[in-house]
Amino acid sequence: MATLTAVEILAYALASALFLGHLLTARPSATRVARACLLAAFLLQLVDIGLRCLAGQNPVSSTPEAVGFVGFLIAGGFLLAGVRYRLSTAGAFAVPASLTLLVLARVVPAEPGAPRMGALGLTHVFLATIGVAVFAFAAVLAALYLREERRLRQKRFDRLADEAPLATLDRLGLRCIAVGFPVFTLALVTGAVWIARLGGLSASEARRPEYLIAVLAWSAFGVLLLARFGAGWRGRRAAWLTLGGFAGLVGVLLLYVLRSLS
Amino acid sequence: MPGGIDFLVLGLSHKTAPLDVRERLASPPEQIGEALQAFARLDSVREVALLSTCNRVEVYLASPDPDAAIAALRRHLAERAGISEVDIAQHLYARVDVDAVHHLFRVAASLDSLVIGEPQILGQVKQAHDTAMAERTAGAVLGACFSGAFRIARRIRRETDIARNPVSISSVSIEFARKIFDGFEGRVVLIVGAGKMADLAARALRGHGARILVTNRTPARAEELAARIGGEAHPFDDLTGALVKADIVIASTGARRPVLTRALIEAAQKKRRGRLLFLIDIAVPRDVEPEAAEISNVFLADIDDLQKLADEHRDGRRGQADRAEAMVEQEVARFLEAFRGRRVGPTITALRDRVIELARAEAERTVAGISGLGDREKRAMFELADAIAKKLLHRPQVALKKGGGDPVDGASLLSAVQRLFDLEVPEGGAGLGAGSGTSSDAPGDAEDRGVPSEDSTSADRSSGKAASS
Repeated sequence: MATLTAVEILAYALASALFLGHLLTARPSATRVARACLLAAFLLQLVDIGLRCLAGQNPVSSTPEAVGFVGFLIAGGFLLAGVRYRLSTAGAFAVPASLTLLVLARVVPAEPGAPRMGALGLTHVFLATIGVAVFAFAAVLAALYLREERRLRQKRFDRLADEAPLATLDRLGLRCIAVGFPVFTLALVTGAVWIARLGGLSASEARRPEYLIAVLAWSAFGVLLLARFGAGWRGRRAAWLTLGGFAGLVGVLLLYVLRSLS
Repeated sequence: MPGGIDFLVLGLSHKTAPLDVRERLASPPEQIGEALQAFARLDSVREVALLSTCNRVEVYLASPDPDAAIAALRRHLAERAGISEVDIAQHLYARVDVDAVHHLFRVAASLDSLVIGEPQILGQVKQAHDTAMAERTAGAVLGACFSGAFRIARRIRRETDIARNPVSISSVSIEFARKIFDGFEGRVVLIVGAGKMADLAARALRGHGARILVTNRTPARAEELAARIGGEAHPFDDLTGALVKADIVIASTGARRPVLTRALIEAAQKKRRGRLLFLIDIAVPRDVEPEAAEISNVFLADIDDLQKLADEHRDGRRGQADRAEAMVEQEVARFLEAFRGRRVGPTITALRDRVIELARAEAERTVAGISGLGDREKRAMFELADAIAKKLLHRPQVALKKGGGDPVDGASLLSAVQRLFDLEVPEGGAGLGAGSGTSSDAPGDAEDRGVPSEDSTSADRSSGKAASS
């Protein structure tokens, strides 16, 4: 299993390097190799996850497992989106993210004395994982949007000859958030109910920042959807709000991981 | 190259002739057929095609006597243009054989164009060949040479970045718009004013499915332009209303002060609910207040921006051109190689047949003249004759296969052998183009014929006009 993990990480690293290389050189031929490499990495991780499931560590059984699974979903989402849209540059954002999450997941040991989570806990982690992955993809699109927008304002576009136009990035980003928001809402609700069933939070637990940040991030995406449909917010402002919301989620995940380390 | 058919070109281009001379010689598409028939009747002209664009007029020929053909054609062209032969001669260039092939390859690959890498020329070269085919003035020689030209042109487009970035104002504008919008189907393009450049870009966008709105201070002019490019006129008083509908605005009025102020666009943008808006300002003095670029989701490109992009792309193309030139050299050599290969085989066979036949005939005569020879002796005589013939043939065969120092050398060697031994090679002479009666075995031929050029979409044609006209 250790060998498989190593090969898997290596494949992700290689794909990341290739996509970053494409970003710098804008050679269309490089993306084909990068894509193939990513597909290999994705399939390896699929096998890895399958084996872990058999060993009793399903993707939502612990925070590290879930973190790795988020990376897996991002990679899959990127591969899928690449079938229809020209998103080679997004690879330079998405694939390193998958790599980082995978490494994080494998380096951090699963909590030894993790409480048995029960169906409600599993549902919570599962929904949150999906939600974070979808939001992560929205964040990748937002970053790409801001980058391309800046280049266009500087009147530079020659090297991005095969990139998706701003309107596509904006629309796809919105779709991700429209899908991610209800999922993440359910995740918050199940999480709250789960904690209540466990007997509520102690005074010290209630002050933990991750709960507040999670709610703030959730609100950011909610505001974004409202502003988008209500006031026609889109483009740059929507992209920044997406990135802000996602940064919050990353903060929550980091705090979880740190807590399970300590 | 006596005894063979030569490929040659006689013509003039933006490099050798001013516009007024080019105009006189240029033939509109409907007259090319007639011109071809007239050329075909000239002395020593076997095959002929005419390439007539706004930047060049070139006649491609296959002829058994290049000098005579060039002289006849020069006279004929002078008559057509109504200029004296001396006057026209100073603008004309003639290239024969390898040089002519090289020239055609460079032209098709857009290396000889005013704007290097512009995509129209390949379609125009294809059109020239197709017309000549339709008029039955093109045959095997032209077929082979043009097919070679299409192949190298496509290869250069594929393997270099020479045509990657647009270089005309209107095509740069469209490329810019492509970075913002996902296609133009159903998008609304608003034209403010009635500049020529706006016309060009709008037509191209309409070709991609955009709806065109035209507004002008003078309603009649808006109506007129709208009718011409297939759009709708919109009252100038309601500029905000027009902006609310629009996704792309092309401004080219002759106004002294900006027509599209920041305040106006900001107001429109509120009503548009922040949709992306692309303002193309090609007016001098400017029509759009530069501060409008600060509005969220509004993109502005003025004539300087567009010109700068166009120039940058042009410089980039020049760099790629060196690579492309090397590829042309390579392809010309390969092309001639293939040609010679096809010619050498039959000549060698004919040479062998001729020499061995002579030797055997002599042996037979000798054997018949000597009485009392046994079968063994007779066989030995025939074997001796064969052996001498084969020894004699060895060196000439090797030389022919090697083909001299260069393609022209090889071709003349071939021609010399054919004349010295009075060989009847099935397909005639030794020249470059003396191929086999049909053009079906010309390299890459079937693939090329009748396949519409990827460059010949209506949008490209109109957007590239600025570059190539």
